[in-house]
Amino acid sequence: MQLPAQQVAVLETASADEATSVDALAAATELPPETVTGAVFELEDEGLVAVSERVDETVALTDEGREYAEAELPEISLYEAALEAGADADPVSMGQVIGASGLEGSAVDIALSNYARKGYGVIDSGEITADPDADPAADTEANALAALADVDDAPVDSVDIDADTLDQLERRGLLERTESTVREVTLTELAVTELMAGIETAETVGQVTPELLTSGEWEDVEFAEYNVEADAERFEGGKVHILRQTAERVKDVLVGMGFQEMEGPHVDADFWINDCLFMPQDHPARTHWDRFALEQPTHIDELPEDLVDRVERAHKEGVGPDGEGYHSPWDEDFARALALRGHTTSLSTRYLSGEEIGDLEPPQRYFSVEKVYRNDTLDPTHLLEFFQIEGWVMAEDLSVRDLMGTFEEFYSQFGITDIQFKPHYNPYTEPSFELFGTHPTTGELVEIGNSGIFREEMLEPLGVECDVMAWGLALERLLMLMYGFEDIRDIHGTLCDLELLRETEVTY
Amino acid sequence: MPTVDIDPDELRDLTGHEEKGDEELKEDLFGLGLEFEGRTEEGAFELEFAPDRLDRLSVEGVARSMRYQYGDARGIHVPSPNSADWTIEVDESVPDERPYVTGAVIRDVDLDEEALESLIQLQEKLHATMGRKRAKGAIGIHDLTMLKGSPATEGNPTIKYVGVEPDEDQFVPLDSDAEMTPAEVLEHHQTGQTYADLVSEYERYPAIYDDIGLFSFPPVINGRRTEVSTDSRDLFVEMTGTDQWTIDKMLNIVCYALAARGATLEEVTVEYPDHEIVRPDLSTKTKTVAHDRIETILGIGFDPDEVIDLAERSGLEAEKEENEDGELVYEVTIPPYRVDVLHPLDIIDDLGRAYGFNDLEPRYPDVGTVGGRHERSRLERAVRESLVGLGFEDLLNFHMISEAENYDRLDIEPGADVYGAGESATIKGPYSEDFTMLRTWVMPSLLMVLERNTHRAYPQDLAEIGFAAEVDEDENTGVTEGRRVGAVLASHDAGYEDAKARLQALARNFDVDLETPPTDHPTFISGRTAAVVIDGEEVGVIGEVHPKVLVEHDLEVPVSAFEFDLEALR
Repeated sequence: MQLPAQQVAVLETASADEATSVDALAAATELPPETVTGAVFELEDEGLVAVSERVDETVALTDEGREYAEAELPEISLYEAALEAGADADPVSMGQVIGASGLEGSAVDIALSNYARKGYGVIDSGEITADPDADPAADTEANALAALADVDDAPVDSVDIDADTLDQLERRGLLERTESTVREVTLTELAVTELMAGIETAETVGQVTPELLTSGEWEDVEFAEYNVEADAERFEGGKVHILRQTAERVKDVLVGMGFQEMEGPHVDADFWINDCLFMPQDHPARTHWDRFALEQPTHIDELPEDLVDRVERAHKEGVGPDGEGYHSPWDEDFARALALRGHTTSLSTRYLSGEEIGDLEPPQRYFSVEKVYRNDTLDPTHLLEFFQIEGWVMAEDLSVRDLMGTFEEFYSQFGITDIQFKPHYNPYTEPSFELFGTHPTTGELVEIGNSGIFREEMLEPLGVECDVMAWGLALERLLMLMYGFEDIRDIHGTLCDLELLRETEVTY
Repeated sequence: MPTVDIDPDELRDLTGHEEKGDEELKEDLFGLGLEFEGRTEEGAFELEFAPDRLDRLSVEGVARSMRYQYGDARGIHVPSPNSADWTIEVDESVPDERPYVTGAVIRDVDLDEEALESLIQLQEKLHATMGRKRAKGAIGIHDLTMLKGSPATEGNPTIKYVGVEPDEDQFVPLDSDAEMTPAEVLEHHQTGQTYADLVSEYERYPAIYDDIGLFSFPPVINGRRTEVSTDSRDLFVEMTGTDQWTIDKMLNIVCYALAARGATLEEVTVEYPDHEIVRPDLSTKTKTVAHDRIETILGIGFDPDEVIDLAERSGLEAEKEENEDGELVYEVTIPPYRVDVLHPLDIIDDLGRAYGFNDLEPRYPDVGTVGGRHERSRLERAVRESLVGLGFEDLLNFHMISEAENYDRLDIEPGADVYGAGESATIKGPYSEDFTMLRTWVMPSLLMVLERNTHRAYPQDLAEIGFAAEVDEDENTGVTEGRRVGAVLASHDAGYEDAKARLQALARNFDVDLETPPTDHPTFISGRTAAVVIDGEEVGVIGEVHPKVLVEHDLEVPVSAFEFDLEALR
């Protein structure tokens, strides 16, 4: 018969006459005990060895026990101090004796609680007496400690201490008992027969090979064991960028809510970015310092002429019988100037006007998660370019309640509930709200978006005759809220840290 | 957003609600849209405000709104000014760029330190907002007793708004001891330097004279002679600007703030060369608001009396009426200090605020639509997933870049006939020299990331599907925009074949025909560079990055790379 090397070694070491412990086998075969144990069980399965088990109990002193073994038990210190103070004749004040004994802290309590029990004397009403006949040298507990002081894990049968004393020491926390299972192995008759017939050592192999499989040899080989717990070499798989993952998640949610995705130019005329939004041309946000105007090229070629006329009229005269325009200049050349879009609401105006995909009939829902550009100061939460989540709903007769319901639904998908609506001002929406939500971890109230119902001065020139409600939010803000990033520059842009990207947890 | 400082004690005093604690006040202010940002060194509330309710830029205006909100005040209060004594005569010489002026006299003001501070803050905030940093409207407030009007007509003192040559006359400006000409003020005085750009192009500078001489150089600075102090009892307020409506409204806000402190208003006549107006114009306006529209916007039903009550609590007045079609409407009167009511919708917003928007029950709109993503977005996602499957780390870089990074450091010339070297769309007056243009390809960004991460473990296989743009006269915007698929493989043994293998895998995934005929490109090693030709069209480049470019980016490992137009996989 063929057996793996370690099983052969065990068989050759064990005896049919007397039981051999696993530890003894391990020592004799120079194999690790766990390997021997494994081999023994496999041999038992094959009926080659009989395994018996017994439980061995050992005792050892605890740290405290060892401490008393080196010095002495506190109650003995107390007894000696009491004798010194003359307590064998008359009761002495306890404070005096304790002071003289040198006992401190918990040792005092330990001494007092064992003193009377062991017959060293009596403690009563703050006074202490000492029994002149007591003999510390005959203290069984002290003697047991002394006996165990120099042995580690002594088998309980081998120590000459009575069971009561051992129990008492264990109760006092001076001694620990440990139980261990000892397996002993005896060869079976089958093993003896096989050994006489001769057992060969089977080869172990490192790897499954095509030859091994096709030849059928795999049936006879033993596979070398690996250390399956060890760390493997680090592997760098690719991963979708964390901000893209977040964008995908947002897109999933919005598509699920019935929104269609918009796309459109990053470089666009101010007309689409601002004028169509009823932003007066002298609005502070339209000054040079807040936007990225283009040096080359400078102006858009064509704008829809009649739309330009309607937008200009809305700016100057307002919309409706009771409408008023702005008391601000309006110049078409200014509107044609090109810039990097400061918000993706430029896409909304293009779609709403019919310019992008033709006239839209209500109801409609549209969204985009695209980059916008703001001339801001770079800091951990502000970049010159970031992603804006933009969404709008077009329908007959939309109310503030519909707007609130839509946003509650959207934000709840990201675990943000208890949205508060702070009345706000935007030139292109009325009513307008800043949205506040509770941070999932810090519990702080944080701004999470801006929203409102588009003004008629914006919609009428675009040719929209029903209500449109809209909202916007920075994707980075959502990311930071959801996953607690502190510096957005570490992940977005060429300053990014590859290690951080590799280590970042995936989201879903 | 801008902030305004409000002393909570003054607010309690002016609202008559001494019992309100600071926390309670903060909550009430939040309800008005004024968010508590912190405290000033003196303990005043710093409140963030949205720039629509410019009548709330001072404690007087905020107190007025709160009294309406609390129901302590109802409807519209319009102060009655005394009739005009003073006249502002507008001379023909006034610069064409800044032709308008308005004004009022304020008598019996009681200016303690706080009141004066509040007035100065109001003036500053109005300058910053409606006044468009004084370009559109600038305020000058003077101690009336220091003015000597020329008696142009019997009993009517007059001051004159004129245009002067830059060095024509002299006066002592505020915060100075020296006499200066307007031109000298722009050059030497700190405030003059700040606002010099507003008038430096004018041929003649705006100036205001009384009988004694030049006392104000709007919109830059007042003269020291008429400086207002806590001892001032009567004030002359003048405003100049580019739009009459704007300065008249700014004047109304100032008049209301001072009247709230017990001052008496007095009209001023403004005599233009061809017509005459009397200011302040404290007339009210009306707008018609349909009951039905209120209900649809707020999403709940209202009793007409409730609407009227909400209007009064907003400081408006509403009267129930029936329009031609027999529908219930309200004739709503708007007080003269409001500058933000352009449309009936703005009144509905006021009603909603008075009702309390947060008391409305949210509901999900019962509107069915079908959602979906556009094709480019789906394609981009599919290609990104393929790239990640091939082991690339997906990157996200800025679209803005510098000329040096985009061209020079990759050894290409703008406009050269190689992939990625198109003419760039450039930014006017760039904020930072690192961001002066839109990138024309993504390869520069990928190399910058490699450069930043030389201390990180290799191999570094990075990819980006990113935006790039170049000038294109055929496009309406003059720019053609697109997405590029860029990838770099950096490791001690990265070679052309590694890049080609992955490019082939992509081509197979998207079932396109890939060819790579040899080409030359300065970014890559000659003889190890090919054009990426997909379905017969040249759409990109692949190769081993030239050592010159590697060394330029402090890289000590070889890099192979490819980049092509995302559209080619469509």
